[in-house]
Amino acid sequence: MTDLARSGSRASDPADRPKIVRLHPFGLDGARTGPISLATALLLLAAWFLVTHYRLVPPLFLPTPQEVATQFLAVLEDGYAGATLWEHVSASLFRIFSAAVIAASLGIPLGLAMGLNRWAKGVFDTPIEFYWPLPPLAYLPLMIIWLGIGEVSKIVLLTLAMFAPVCLSAQAGVRSLPIERVNAALSLGASRWQLFRTIVLPSALPEILTGLRIGIGVGWSTLVAAELIAATRGIGFMIMSASHFLATDVVFVGIGIIAVFAFAFSYGMRLLEAWLVPWKGKS
Amino acid sequence: MLQVRNASVFFSARDGRVVHALDRASLDIDANSIVVALGASGCGKSTLLNAIAGFLPLSEGSITLDGQPVASPGADRGVVFQKDTLLPWSSVADNVALGLRFAGIPARERRERAEELLGLVGLEGFADAFPHELSGGMRQRVGIARALATDPKILLMDEPFGALDSLTREQMQELLIDVWARTGKRIFFITHSIEEALFLGTNVVVMSPRPGRIVARFDLDFVRRFAAERDVRAILSAPEFADLYDEIRSLVHRPHAEADVRRMVLQ
Repeated sequence: MTDLARSGSRASDPADRPKIVRLHPFGLDGARTGPISLATALLLLAAWFLVTHYRLVPPLFLPTPQEVATQFLAVLEDGYAGATLWEHVSASLFRIFSAAVIAASLGIPLGLAMGLNRWAKGVFDTPIEFYWPLPPLAYLPLMIIWLGIGEVSKIVLLTLAMFAPVCLSAQAGVRSLPIERVNAALSLGASRWQLFRTIVLPSALPEILTGLRIGIGVGWSTLVAAELIAATRGIGFMIMSASHFLATDVVFVGIGIIAVFAFAFSYGMRLLEAWLVPWKGKS
Repeated sequence: MLQVRNASVFFSARDGRVVHALDRASLDIDANSIVVALGASGCGKSTLLNAIAGFLPLSEGSITLDGQPVASPGADRGVVFQKDTLLPWSSVADNVALGLRFAGIPARERRERAEELLGLVGLEGFADAFPHELSGGMRQRVGIARALATDPKILLMDEPFGALDSLTREQMQELLIDVWARTGKRIFFITHSIEEALFLGTNVVVMSPRPGRIVARFDLDFVRRFAAERDVRAILSAPEFADLYDEIRSLVHRPHAEADVRRMVLQ
């Protein structure tokens, strides 16, 4: 009786809070990783600084952080190889985004069709499965021979690289659709088009967005290959050109710029996912 | 009247064997009745429901609804599934009104009808919630409201309360009886719980596996008594309830036991 009274008064006393417990989590379980990642980044920067400061690696192979920063400002001010930094960046962004728009507008409908239709799957499966594991550098010469050295061959190369992940993810999105959901819609009187519009498309949307994210990532990693083709502008061109003159610091500037844009885009896609498919993983 | 006549279904199993899932089942579902199909798993009760819903064609036999042959799924037969099939990206009101949207009814009217139906299933004030914010029992209420929205001629329910805890299950059974008493819908209900079958059915058909067939039929009045008197305890403790329970229990379990013994002897 006295025990009960005591425990009652303890719960009502805000200063003496009970010990909060929870089940042992498995995996990450939503734990915060941001501070750890930030600390890792700072540690890597410090290591870079120390390695170059004590000349453990010749500056030709690894420039100091200060040199890279100076070079970045110089490129920002004077440009590189006859074009301003913004002209290089915008040339690359234009190529990547036009390729992304083309890849998405072809890959999403075709992938959905391949997930739904025997003929679409049968006809397009072979060419896509055949070409998509090929490294873009392998078919780069063909692009040049067939399409010349202008913008077209660069954009087509990037489009081909981005198309496969987008198309395959749209297919996977259709396949992940539970049959009960389809049956439920049919028993509520859905027509073929209503079924596609209200059930199939939203169900496949999370996978499609993941495919787009992967596709754009592949696009950035193919950029340097695309800009090997007689380019005079572009971040990829800047890196390749600087490497011919062993200007390692400019190479670092180019890599840094690509990394920043790729990261920003990936983050933007995550925000888009949170906005478009807030139900993901909750159903 | 929904009429099932000599419905047989043969499936092809993955190893190429032919599975006789449903053997010449015949069934009438009259106006204002709840027909419950009861049986162990594999007795063909879900196969029968899928055929009535139009998800599965029959190998032999026929199904007609008010004289019209059933060939494909349609809004005249509302289905409530065991696993809720609500759309995770739509609010509760939009989920309830999905069938009305397919029928091309304007948004404002849809919303009014959805709120009315949510009131019927006891979910006032949840119109703008999302399915993942609801408990299992509440989701099934939304599922029932959604199936009722298109004003179907019959409600097909495939073990709708099978995944719920026993307390929620009792609440849902009473809710279903309320809905039935107020709307007068015909209901075809599948369960493997004898008590649920006795409590809900105006007619109970007992099914048995290998091949799936109807082995017994009972006409009951417990559900009408509950709808009139609302006294669960009186019904569950009635001697005829207990007698029927035992009778059906031996029916459901006997064929199984026999089949198992036979197999053991053969081995």
